Amino acid sequence: MDAVRTKKGMSILSEEPILRLEGLTKRFGSHVALGDVTFAVERGEYVALLGPSGSGKTTLLRSIAGFEIPDAGKIFLSGQEITRANIYERGIGFVFQNFALFPHLSVKDNVAFGLRNGAKRLPNDEVLSRVLQTIAMVGLTGLEERGAAQISGGQKQRVALARTLVMQPKLVLLDEPLGALDANLRLRMRAELRQIREQLGIPFLHVTGSETEALAMGDRVIVLDQGRIGQFGKPDEVYNRPATPNVARFLNRYNVFDGALDGEVFASAYGRFAFGVRMASARSAYAVRYDRLVAKQAGTVSRAPAIRVNYVASEYLGAAIMHFFETNDGKVVEVEHHLSNGPPSAFSEGEAYDLTWTAEDGIVFG
Amino acid sequence: MSSIEAVVSKTDQQPDRGRSAALRSYLLIAPSVIWMALFLILPLAMIVYVSFWTQSTFKIEPKLTLDSWQTFFGSDTYLNSLWTTIRIWLIVLISTFVLGYPTALFVGLFVRNKTLQTALLVLCVIPFWTSFLIRVIAWRPMLGKEGAINILLMKFGFIHQPIEALLFTELSVVIGMTQIYVVFMVGPIAFMLGRIDPNIIEAARDLGAGFWRILRKIIFPLSLPGVVVGAMFVSVMVLGEFATSAALSGRKVNLLGNIVVTQVGSLKWALASVVGVILTVIMGFVIAGLLRIVDLKKEL
Repeated sequence: MDAVRTKKGMSILSEEPILRLEGLTKRFGSHVALGDVTFAVERGEYVALLGPSGSGKTTLLRSIAGFEIPDAGKIFLSGQEITRANIYERGIGFVFQNFALFPHLSVKDNVAFGLRNGAKRLPNDEVLSRVLQTIAMVGLTGLEERGAAQISGGQKQRVALARTLVMQPKLVLLDEPLGALDANLRLRMRAELRQIREQLGIPFLHVTGSETEALAMGDRVIVLDQGRIGQFGKPDEVYNRPATPNVARFLNRYNVFDGALDGEVFASAYGRFAFGVRMASARSAYAVRYDRLVAKQAGTVSRAPAIRVNYVASEYLGAAIMHFFETNDGKVVEVEHHLSNGPPSAFSEGEAYDLTWTAEDGIVFG
Repeated sequence: MSSIEAVVSKTDQQPDRGRSAALRSYLLIAPSVIWMALFLILPLAMIVYVSFWTQSTFKIEPKLTLDSWQTFFGSDTYLNSLWTTIRIWLIVLISTFVLGYPTALFVGLFVRNKTLQTALLVLCVIPFWTSFLIRVIAWRPMLGKEGAINILLMKFGFIHQPIEALLFTELSVVIGMTQIYVVFMVGPIAFMLGRIDPNIIEAARDLGAGFWRILRKIIFPLSLPGVVVGAMFVSVMVLGEFATSAALSGRKVNLLGNIVVTQVGSLKWALASVVGVILTVIMGFVIAGLLRIVDLKKEL
């Protein structure tokens, strides 16, 4: 936010962020899909946009591309307002979640479509050389004549990317680009996406519902919460210092307890917890990361903070084990035990345990 | 031991199971094969056979001759009616496409609400709730010299004399057939258009293509199977038509179908069969030609 404010006053064009949104608002009936969204993407930056389904992330992306017209607010591309500009005038590439390839065309014709049918049409030999070059860049050489319906999911993803990149867009928007791929392929495409982007230097805005993907891919991460920006920062900032209770929840790495701040401690239904960090937030809650909790035999814990739970089940993750506990009123509390910290303890189902952590690891919102 | 026995008995059963599966599939296909043989192949063969019979004024006998074929190809009347049939078929095919495609485009692509889409398609079918003949004859008070169209045009001062060319001409036959058969064009095209992923069209827009480009390069090719199916419906029905031309042309337009009706009416079975064979051959060529445009098995 601060970066945006200072940038606003500057008039040097090269200092203008590639994309700037000011108070973007979009309603569908009474539902607010986007509420006063303001942020800026710097040149050459990879920004990941994280949000659960229904958080407005696709609406935001579609408004930037021009598929939706916002009710209020402005969109600037390199300092030029494009809020109501025609889609084809924007110079923004869009990669769809389901790839949206033209099924009746070959790989080559899919990639060439924009150059042949777009606003500026190029001579045929230039089209061909650019198309082949882009196809080579995404590693599809040899598949040029293959039909778009006859290639695998990962290959479709690359064609969709090549089709967008061949247009040399100023900004590329990706709508859950890896969502339709299987887990192995998703990991490989992550690395490849980043590599291709670094090669081209084009800023990417990558929408995802996966917190690991957002943290791994983004130079910076925007967390969208019910159409509003919950947090915008570097991945480690977002991870270690979530700005709101909901951001902590979306990260899927925090146990979040409801309650209220009471002087120097946090009063929750499960006890009074001391804390290390306080984040200013409209909603109050207490968050502590899964891997900061330690489970002890019930009654053996003297130091606070601690919480009494019953053991439910465990899940083996390879380098770590997730233990699931339940409080008396049915709230699930997760504990992650890294196996590098020694062998896991054996818990028996239904037994009572005390979960404890150091006060410094507790984050309070309020 | 028991496991070996199990394996042995299993291999023994294998061909048996194959045979029973084959038997089952024969049983499943049998009714349609019998039906097609009895009511398609056999009559067709019969028509071809009868077309070579000897026809005298009041009787027909199974003595093979080329007489009826020579009569057909030696007569200007019959040949003219062959060309009229082909011409009217082509005109109606084009007019149903020209009218039907935009309608289908609207229903299948611009209406994204499935309920409204279905409602609009049902609306297209409502005329079929009245009888075929009533639908055809209803055009007479519309197109006639003192019909609705002429009265309106005169009332608003567009014309001073009623247009007589509207009824009992080839034009009235084309209008009537287009109205009746256009829905068979709209349905299959709207179905194919409805299956196009809206993201594909958005992707084309994002790549800078305008509406007409997208229509020509993306939407039309993807709807082509629907066009072909629609064209097949319309072709088969128009080529076999006789009622619309009889009712709306004042017997001035004689299609091959009308000739079949008159010949059968005067018990000239042999010549009627000749015309029937010619019609069937034309339809065969039309359908084979249309199927060359798209691979329907792949598309549907």
